Amino acid sequence: MSPPLEPQADFMKFPTVFLALALAAGAAQARDVTHELGTTDVPDSPERIVVLEFSFIDALAALNLAPVGIADDDQRDRVQPVWSERIGDDWTSVGTRKTPNLEIIASLQPDLIIADKSRHAAVYETLGQIAPTVVYDSLTGDYEDMLAVADEIGTALGRAEEMDAFQAGHGARMDALRADVSEQTQGDDAQFGVINANGLWLHSPKSYVGSLLASFGFAPVMPLTGSDSYGELYQKTTLEQLSALDPGLLILGKSGDGRTLDQDWNADSLWQQIDAVERGRLFDVSSDLWSRARGMLTAEEIAADIRDIAATLK
Amino acid sequence: MTDLTFSRTGRPPRIRLSRGGMRWAVLTCVLAAGALASLLTGGRDDVGLAQLAGLFAGEAASTAEQTMRDIRLPRTLAAAGLGINLGVAGLLLQAVTRNPLASPAILGINQGAALGIVLGLTVPALAVAPGWLLASVFGLAAACLTFAIAGLFSGRIDSMRLILGGVAVGAIGFSAVRLGYTLEDDIAREVVRWTVGDIADLRIDAALRLLAFALPGLGLAYLMAHRLNLMAMGHAASNGLGFDPRATLVQGTVLAALLTGVSISVAGPIAFVGLVAPHIARWLCGADHRRLLPVVVLIGATLTIWADALSKLLPQAEEAPVGIVVAMLGAPWLLVSVLRRSGTAHV
Amino acid sequence: MSDARRPEFPDLRGPVTLALLGVLLPALMFAGLFAGAIPLEIETVVNSLLGRDGPRQDFIVLQSRLPRALLAALAGGALALSGALIQALMRNPLASPKIVGINSGAAFAVLVTAFYIPALPHSLLPVPAALGGLMAGALVWWCAQRGDIDPRQLTLVGLAVGLTLDAGVDALLVANTGPESSAPLIWLTGSLWGRGWTHLASVAPVLLTLATAALILAFRLDLQALGPRRAAGLGVRVGLERTLALLAAVILASVAVSVVGVLGFVGLMAPHVATRLVGGRHRIMLPTAALFGAVLTVGADTLGRAIRPPLEISAGILTALMGAAFFIWLLIAEDRRI
Repeated sequence: MSPPLEPQADFMKFPTVFLALALAAGAAQARDVTHELGTTDVPDSPERIVVLEFSFIDALAALNLAPVGIADDDQRDRVQPVWSERIGDDWTSVGTRKTPNLEIIASLQPDLIIADKSRHAAVYETLGQIAPTVVYDSLTGDYEDMLAVADEIGTALGRAEEMDAFQAGHGARMDALRADVSEQTQGDDAQFGVINANGLWLHSPKSYVGSLLASFGFAPVMPLTGSDSYGELYQKTTLEQLSALDPGLLILGKSGDGRTLDQDWNADSLWQQIDAVERGRLFDVSSDLWSRARGMLTAEEIAADIRDIAATLK
Repeated sequence: MTDLTFSRTGRPPRIRLSRGGMRWAVLTCVLAAGALASLLTGGRDDVGLAQLAGLFAGEAASTAEQTMRDIRLPRTLAAAGLGINLGVAGLLLQAVTRNPLASPAILGINQGAALGIVLGLTVPALAVAPGWLLASVFGLAAACLTFAIAGLFSGRIDSMRLILGGVAVGAIGFSAVRLGYTLEDDIAREVVRWTVGDIADLRIDAALRLLAFALPGLGLAYLMAHRLNLMAMGHAASNGLGFDPRATLVQGTVLAALLTGVSISVAGPIAFVGLVAPHIARWLCGADHRRLLPVVVLIGATLTIWADALSKLLPQAEEAPVGIVVAMLGAPWLLVSVLRRSGTAHV
Repeated sequence: MSDARRPEFPDLRGPVTLALLGVLLPALMFAGLFAGAIPLEIETVVNSLLGRDGPRQDFIVLQSRLPRALLAALAGGALALSGALIQALMRNPLASPKIVGINSGAAFAVLVTAFYIPALPHSLLPVPAALGGLMAGALVWWCAQRGDIDPRQLTLVGLAVGLTLDAGVDALLVANTGPESSAPLIWLTGSLWGRGWTHLASVAPVLLTLATAALILAFRLDLQALGPRRAAGLGVRVGLERTLALLAAVILASVAVSVVGVLGFVGLMAPHVATRLVGGRHRIMLPTAALFGAVLTVGADTLGRAIRPPLEISAGILTALMGAAFFIWLLIAEDRRI
């Protein structure tokens, strides 16, 4: 916002002075940030930030910024250790990601809210009444999209250079991990899916994990055609369909110790004849980390898991 | 032969084919076509009828034959079993409540089972119990509650109270399902999926369980067939014939509840079979329950088998849950039937 | 259901009950300003309401709890009126908007709009809702054959139509499993989460107008209770008024559903409770039912907000539970009486 124009004519003789004053005045106040649902006036260095999705925690953690409120589905341990190491444990839970509690958010008196486009579009205006709100898509898209969103968040927070530096470091670490792995993975295919007691959902090559696996040199199992709509990214798959796909390496994301469908399938000869099962290339990982916790820090954790998996392939 | 009036709104129109045998032939062909379609579709491309030979091959069966034996055939049989159980249950309920719009859904079992599933997903103590057990226990508990409200245990049952009791009990389960929607994504998705009926990962044990109920259930229903015919004439008429319509109401409802309960425990609630299959059966062969029972068996099985086939044939990567496809097949029929009933009302 | 009594002294049940409810409702709404995930002090609430200095929570009081309370009252009252009208018109004490499939029709129409016409602004959602409800209501009305309506037939036709539309809703939910379906899913449970002044503004004019029309029609309905011929003899245009009343009932329910989702059992319970409190004369029963429906919904919303923060239990779930319990009691009580 620029200061009102002085009507005196001689002031116009010093446009550079005027411009400098305007810039100085503007820098102390809000910036316009463009996001998925429009443009918002964001304060220059927000300190009380509420985040309504997990990948946004990661972006803040990368900058060592602690949010005051997190939509953690009312389960504090959903926040990955690699994040809480950097942001601490002082944040308040604002409820589920689906229906964050607007009153609790308001009581925290935030100066910035970061929301997800698919989940919170319906209450974007209401959130805007509490505090300036920026909205990004954190649920579809692949690994590169996640990096782009983190970059935008860095810009929105006024810490663009810091974020760039972090992403450069992150890229270097990931490249190092890739170098470790790529020799073992050339030509092999790998498939990731989340499995629980009732079903198996495979993540397509265009999904976040799918793109990560591809960047580590694994070949895709599912066809590359298809859109990146939510239903195409995560497909419920029957045993018969899985046996038709016949992956050479299967990574199953499980949460906790509950019963999972593959335990029922163990007795099925169809399951035993799947390439990955026959060759013993079946790996269990945490679905919380792989499926729910997007971000750069967690991508490095996933990459470490992939390196451990690849090490057994030799 | 005396025409049996079915309800006050007039008798359903009948299609008279040239020979009774023609109807059976057509029905059987449609069923067979559906069974073929169901058996021949699925995830893998290499499974055909020839693989049925694998049933006898034991350990030496190829993967394709194992698919046919372990997955395709049980699934098709399970679909048939569901259709039979739910169709017979619907026929029984429509007869004992003397209303052609009754169905297993009115007993509140669907929603009770749904409540059990949601509790199993949310209450850690119950998470160890398998889904089908929770669905059965809570579903039948809901049915008992419906019966209690309807006065079955106090001897004052009548069909209107039964329907209303089902509505009341159903509302409790309904709110449990809706509560499931508000929970986290994974649970919500599972609740949505389960409540529409899904037979994707069934094996032979589920199919056998269904058939184990279907056969005796059919037999018992056939024994009741004569009384069901009499009930259709109205209580006043049947009192004079020396049988207790209330007892028939109770027996028919309990049998329907058991058949529905086992179906829900296997596949979740599939709403339209029990409503629509008896309608089609009546349209084809009149109101005599001795003829209706085998016809409703054929039609129920056909409906669900075709729904299963279509759920695999629809052009998308993820299979549509069979309950949705049944609803798509059944809903237009239901609406046409309801509209036609009102049309003939004042004739 | 008892006929209109002829007491020897003036029947004060009506005015007294109306007065009590008329005080209870604002009191409950005011109390609701204090309760919720963040319990507030009196001073904070009053400061926010009056714009005074001191500790304030403007967003919570003015942008969240106040419009929600008003919306809950309005929607609850609308559903109760709708239920009362339908019960009067169908002369069936067990009819309700749900049972005639209106809720399912409105829900289906709104979901279709939300998923396939996402560009439509939320403030316009009452329009497809009303259309969906009207279609469902029309179908049931026609099928149930106006005139000599068998209550059992009506209930089952309504259930059948409702079942069909519910299957449509399920199909839509299964086909759209992504997180963009989470808002419609929440809404389907009868939730006031995220509702504010814009939602209130989009439905308040329609609902208030129709509610007024309904109350006017209530007077005419008392005449109709005498039977079609006598009513016609008294100058009541039976057919037209019945159609108007049904239209009002359907639109009231559909519009309410469009903004707060499906609130189970309010339309069924409220007229019953009202009848038991004040008798069957519509000119008293309808306002009582409306107030009771409002009280019920405001109470359910407040309770749902306060029970287990940070989670919110949808008002619709609580009203469905209360309604089921009530319904069960009703059936058992009727059993004992006969």
